[in-house]
Amino acid sequence: MATSRPSGIESQIPRNALALLMVAQAAVVAPHAMQLSPWIIVVCFVCGCWRTLVYQGRWAFPSRAVKAALVVCGSVGVVLSSSGGFSLEAFVSLLVLAFGFKLVEMKSRRDAYVVIFMAYFVVAAEFLFDQSLFVAVYEFVAVIIVTAAMVGLNQMRTRVRPMASARLALSLMMQALPLTVVLFLFFPRVMPLWSVPVPGNTPIGLQEEIEPGDLTGLTQSDAVAFRVVFDDGPPPFYRELYWRGVVYNQFENGRWRMAPPQFGADIHLGTAEQGAYEVMLEPTAQNWLYGLAVPTQFDNRARLTRDMRLITEDPVLSVTRYRLSSAPGARFGLALSEAERALETHLPDVDENPRLAAFARDLYRREGDEQRFAQALLEHIRAEPYAYTLKPPALGEGARLDAFWFDTRSGFCAHYASAFVYAMRSVGIPARMVGGYLGGEINPLSDHIVVRQYDAHAWAEVWLEGQGWQRFDPTGAVAPERVEQGLAAALSSQDRLSLSALTNARFGEQGLVGRLLYMFDSVDHNWNMFVVGFDGGVQEQFLSRWLGDLTPARVGLTMLVLGALCLGLTGGILFLRRRPKSRHPAVRLYERFVARAARLGLQRQAGETPGAFVRRAGLNAGVESALIEQLAQQLEAALYDPDAADDSDAVRAGLRRLALRMTFATR
Amino acid sequence: MDAIDRLRASLDGVLLGKSRQVQLALACLFARGHLLIEDLPGMGKTLLSQALARVLGLSYNRVQFTSDVLPADIIGTSVFDRETGTLKFLEGPLFAQVVLADEINRATPKSQSALLEAMEERQVTVEGQARPLPAPFFVIATQNPVTQAGTFPLPESQLDRFLMRIELGYPDPDAERELLRGGDGRRKLEGLAAEIDLPMLQQIQSAVDAVKVADPLIDYVQRLVAYTRTRGEFAYGLSPRGTLALLQAARAWALLQDRRHVVPEDVQAVLGGVIEHRLRESADFAGHGGAALAQKLLTSVDVV
Repeated sequence: MATSRPSGIESQIPRNALALLMVAQAAVVAPHAMQLSPWIIVVCFVCGCWRTLVYQGRWAFPSRAVKAALVVCGSVGVVLSSSGGFSLEAFVSLLVLAFGFKLVEMKSRRDAYVVIFMAYFVVAAEFLFDQSLFVAVYEFVAVIIVTAAMVGLNQMRTRVRPMASARLALSLMMQALPLTVVLFLFFPRVMPLWSVPVPGNTPIGLQEEIEPGDLTGLTQSDAVAFRVVFDDGPPPFYRELYWRGVVYNQFENGRWRMAPPQFGADIHLGTAEQGAYEVMLEPTAQNWLYGLAVPTQFDNRARLTRDMRLITEDPVLSVTRYRLSSAPGARFGLALSEAERALETHLPDVDENPRLAAFARDLYRREGDEQRFAQALLEHIRAEPYAYTLKPPALGEGARLDAFWFDTRSGFCAHYASAFVYAMRSVGIPARMVGGYLGGEINPLSDHIVVRQYDAHAWAEVWLEGQGWQRFDPTGAVAPERVEQGLAAALSSQDRLSLSALTNARFGEQGLVGRLLYMFDSVDHNWNMFVVGFDGGVQEQFLSRWLGDLTPARVGLTMLVLGALCLGLTGGILFLRRRPKSRHPAVRLYERFVARAARLGLQRQAGETPGAFVRRAGLNAGVESALIEQLAQQLEAALYDPDAADDSDAVRAGLRRLALRMTFATR
Repeated sequence: MDAIDRLRASLDGVLLGKSRQVQLALACLFARGHLLIEDLPGMGKTLLSQALARVLGLSYNRVQFTSDVLPADIIGTSVFDRETGTLKFLEGPLFAQVVLADEINRATPKSQSALLEAMEERQVTVEGQARPLPAPFFVIATQNPVTQAGTFPLPESQLDRFLMRIELGYPDPDAERELLRGGDGRRKLEGLAAEIDLPMLQQIQSAVDAVKVADPLIDYVQRLVAYTRTRGEFAYGLSPRGTLALLQAARAWALLQDRRHVVPEDVQAVLGGVIEHRLRESADFAGHGGAALAQKLLTSVDVV
C-alpha cells in the first residue's frame, strides 16, 4: 500500500504500460482457473473491469473502507471455500485474490512493481499444481509478458511499444537461460523445510477400496497413468504386462479393500529372468507404485510388502521417476501363515451371495482339485454367454455378485475378478483381487509404453500349494482380445466411441492424427523423464557419471565454474554487441590510444575530437608542438580523408611514441 | 579559393568582428540553404543580409514583413492589361535570386506561409499555375526573438526549411571601438561590389557537393542524430531533412576551411546553427532550449 501520495508525472503508471500490466495479470491468473474456486477468478475479473472503468475516468478508486471490506470478505471466502483446512489451494487462493485486489489499488509506479513481483509468484504457484510441458510452455510465455510489462514501466512516455517490450523481455529470458540450465542440473534438490499441504486431496487412478462397478469411471479417462521404458529394447508380450498396484484382500459389504501392509516378502527366484525398467508415474496422491509382478530390485523410497505391493512413505504428488527390476517367472508367498490364510479366505459371516457360493461348492465337489476347479470356473465363463462391456446393467442392492453371475452376465474385469475370487474363497481356497493396469500402448517414436487410465484392470491371484500365488485373469476367458490386444480391441464399436477423445486406441496407429498423437506423447514423455523426473536421485546418478565422487565441494565448484562461464559468455556477447566494432583501422588505432591514455589518467571528454585530444595529450606530456601537430594531422587524415595516402604505420608509431612520452610524464 | 577569401574579406569589412557568423552565413548559402538570422533589433541582421546579396552578385529583392502584409504582396498578382485585354501576372518581390525577408515573424502566419512552397520547391503556384523561381534562389530572413512584442512565432514546418539559423550577438570590445571610431558598416555597404558571379557561385556549390565524407564521420553524425531521437530531454528527434542539412552544412564549412574532406570540427562548428531551431526540450513548450540541447549534444556524444 502506498503510504505517500504519488506525486509528479514520474511516479504515475504510464497508460500503455498499465494495459500491458493488466494483460500480464490476466495471463498469469488464467491457468489457476483450473484449480481454484471459480469465484476467485470472477473477483479478479471484476477488479479488472473496475480498473478499466477507473482508467476511463468513470469510476473512482475504492475508498479505504471498501478496500478493508473486500479484504475481509475475500479472506472469509477463502476459508469457507477451502473447507477450513490450511491446504495449498487456500494459500494460493489468498495469493491470487490479493493479486486481483491489487488492480484496484495500484496508483503509483511502486505499486506496479509490487504487482509484477507478485505475478512471478503466481506463475511459480501454478507449478505446485501442474508441471506438464503444456503448462511450462504457457508459463514461459506468461513470464515474457510479465517481464515486458516491467520493461514497459521504464519506457519513455511518448513511445511505449508493447511488441518492442516483449522482444526485449524475450531476449532477457534467453540471456538467463544458460544459467537456468546450469542451476537446474547442479543445484541440490533440497528437501522442503516445511511440508506443503497436499494439493487436491483427490486420489487419482485406482482407489483403496473398490466396488465391482467402480472402474468404469477410469475406463472413460484417457489420462496417462504412467510411462515405462525398458532397459533392453522392446518390451515383453502385451499379455505379460500386468502392472500390479493394489491388492484387495478384504471383502465386506460388497466392497473390496486393502488390508494393512505386512512386510517380509519371500521370493523364490529360481531360474526366472529379470528385466529392468524405469517408470514415470503421474501424480496419484496415493502411496503405492506400479510395477510388474515380483519386483526384485527397487528404489529405496519404496518398501515391498508381503503381498508384493510397493508402498511409499508419502503420497505421490508429482511426476515420480523410479527404477525397477522384475522377474515375472519368480514364485512368491510359498509359505502361507495361518493368519494369512485366514485373511485371504475370509468372507463375511453372513453369506452375501448365497447362489454363487453354492454354485462354487458344487463345482469344487465335482472337480475335487484346486487347480482344476479354477480352470473349470474359467471354462464356465468361456462356455456360458457372458459378455464384456464397459456399460453393464445395474446390479441392484445386495447379492450383486449373484446377480452378475447368474442374471445379467455382462460386466468387465472387476466383475469377473470379484466373482472369481468370491467363488474361490467360498470353498476355502486363498484368493485375492489385484488392481492395476494391463498392457499399454507402445509409442514407436521413442519405444516407451504409455499406460492410460482406461488400461485399468483387475484380476485374481490364487494361492496354490507348492506354487505360491498364481495369477488368474477371468477377463481373459470372456474377452481374450482385452488381454491380448488391449481395451480397444475388446470393445464393441459403440463402446469404443464412448472412449474419450484423442487417443491412439480410438484413432489407430496410422494416419496423420495417429502419428501426431504419438509425437505429442513422445514429447511429453521426454519432458517427464528429463525435466520433471529429474529429482534428487536422478540428479545424483547424472552428476556422479560426470563428476565421479560427489562431494559438496566438487558439485559446488562445478556449479560455480559453469555458472560463471554462462554469465561470462552472455556478458561477453552483450559487450560485443553493445556497440558495433568499427572495422575502420584508424578508428581502432585511435580507440586503443584512448584506452591507454585513460589508464594513464588522461580521460577523453565526450565530444572531444581526435585531433583535439591528441593535441591535449601532447601538451600534457610536454611534446614539441610541431611533432604533435604533425601527428594530429596524420591522424585526422587517416580518419576522415578518404583520399589521403595510407599513413597508418606513421600514425601507429606516432601514437605509440606519444603514449610512451605520457607514461614518462606521469612517472 | 581566392574568390571565397575575397567574399569573406569584404563581408568582414562591413560587419565588424563577426567573422564566424559571416562564415556560417556563407556556408549556408554554399550548401544551397535558406538562412534565418535571429537577434534583437539593431544588431546588424539586415546589414549582413544586404551585404551577402551584394557580394554574391545576385538579383535581390527585399520584403518588409509587417502584420498587414498579404501573400499577394509577396508572390505577385494578376492585373488586367488594357492593351491586350488579358490578365497579366505581375511578379512579386519573391521573384529574385536573393529574397530578403526582413522581420519575417512580424507577419501573420498566413503571409509567412506564402514562403513555404517557394522555399522547398523553388516555385510558386498562382491561380493554379506553377511558376518557377529564378535559380539560384535564396531566402535570407531576419527575425526578432519570439519574446519580442508583436511577433508570430514561425511554425516548425517553416523553421525546418531554413538550413541554418544564426545569431549575431553583441560585438566584442575591439569591434565596438572600431565601430565607434566611425566604421559604420551601413556606409561601407554602398561601396560593396559583387565579388563573384553566378557561374562561380555554381562552381563553389558543386565543390561543396564534392567534399568527401569518411565512414567514421558518418558514424559520428549518426550517433548525434540517434541521441536526439532516444533521449528523454528532446521533445522530438532530428528529422532526416535536418540530418542531411547538418552534413551538407559541414561540407560547406569544410570547403570554407579550404579542406576537401569533412572533419568532426566542421560538424561541431555548424551543429548549433543547423539544429538549434529544429529541436525543442520536452519540458519546454515555448520553443526555447534548442541552444542548450545542441550544447548537450556536443558534450555528450563521443566523436569516435
